[in-house]
Amino acid sequence: MNNRKSTVFAGILGENIVLSSLMVISPVIVCGNTLKNAEALIYAFNSITFLSVFISSFVPRKIPYALKVIIYALISSIVYIPVRMAASEFFPDSITRIGIYYPLLAVNSLIVFQSEAKLFRMKRGKMTASLFFYILGFDAVMLITGFIRELFAFGTINGKIVDIDTTISGLSQPFGGFIFLGIMCGVYRKIRAAAYRNYNDKRGGADVSDK
Amino acid sequence: MFLINDFIALLAANLILTQALGTSTLFIAANSRRNLLRTAFVITVFTVFGSIGAYFADRLLPEKYSDLRLLIYTALIGILYVIFLSALFFISREKFEKSRKYIHISAFNCAVMGTLFTINHRAAGDSSFMNLKSYAAAGLEAGFGFILASLILTAAYRKLNSAKVPASFRGFPAMLVYLGIISMAVYTLK
Repeated sequence: MNNRKSTVFAGILGENIVLSSLMVISPVIVCGNTLKNAEALIYAFNSITFLSVFISSFVPRKIPYALKVIIYALISSIVYIPVRMAASEFFPDSITRIGIYYPLLAVNSLIVFQSEAKLFRMKRGKMTASLFFYILGFDAVMLITGFIRELFAFGTINGKIVDIDTTISGLSQPFGGFIFLGIMCGVYRKIRAAAYRNYNDKRGGADVSDK
Repeated sequence: MFLINDFIALLAANLILTQALGTSTLFIAANSRRNLLRTAFVITVFTVFGSIGAYFADRLLPEKYSDLRLLIYTALIGILYVIFLSALFFISREKFEKSRKYIHISAFNCAVMGTLFTINHRAAGDSSFMNLKSYAAAGLEAGFGFILASLILTAAYRKLNSAKVPASFRGFPAMLVYLGIISMAVYTLK
């Protein structure tokens, strides 16, 4: 994999926005306790983030930083309106499930800060591809979290009862979300360090520190 | 006894420990004790003034236009953001250079926006809450909650980042587990 490709795909493993940068973790911790919630969050996050960042990329870069941040937040707040209207039409349950985290997704760090620091420095084509993989990284974490927490907290998968001996009800609570995400974050770092070590070994490069 | 009761109430209503609101911001600011406390202070200022603004927005906004609430809150926080930056700039250039980063990370985040939506949610469920004093008090409470969570994290920050913690779990993962344990303790108080 060359550098250019690895930068584009970084959003999935190397720079996963949840596990690496700890962005957008509040909805994952509180709402990511069932697969249905995860699906609702994925729909909201994907549509709001992709549209907002893409539209925001047309904002002139010469504007002062503080004003740009406000403009990005306003754009995502405007994008939120049709996304929410569509959700109330097609997935009415999703709004009640996510609650106040629905509007909060619109002011997530990826839209407001990370886009300015990283994405808008790229050419639009590469930015769109990177954004796609950042979003995919979030979706993967959300699905894994929703699946495991639902299975072990409620003994169900997507609402269907599964034959499981032990359930840990605390896993559905916010404190369970904190602890689960912490453990997942540690495991992710281990995997990432191993993956990059293998990659460097193949290239005969130097070791990558685990930061 | 009153103080203990107030402290328990503050813990039980803490938005970070009970709803994970503002956790990312807490971690961003957690790289030094001074950063963390300054950010917590600026966030408190935002939650208090933001809540006051949210009160007027909630009073004036008809329920059928509730989808516009986020846009109005964002505009409100944007205005506060510009006012705070401008005020700091005119008071002292030196202070502006030192403190502007805290204002940048304190403006648009789940701690501030989540506070406004939580207060709105509370007011929607209890009409006696729909007054300026309750909104401002709830904003102040959320800010104090953030400061409290910052102090709790600061107390263990060095140990959670020490070489004794396995490399994969050092820093953020350990902090998440630590906050989870504190959150579990708070959960039992509710």
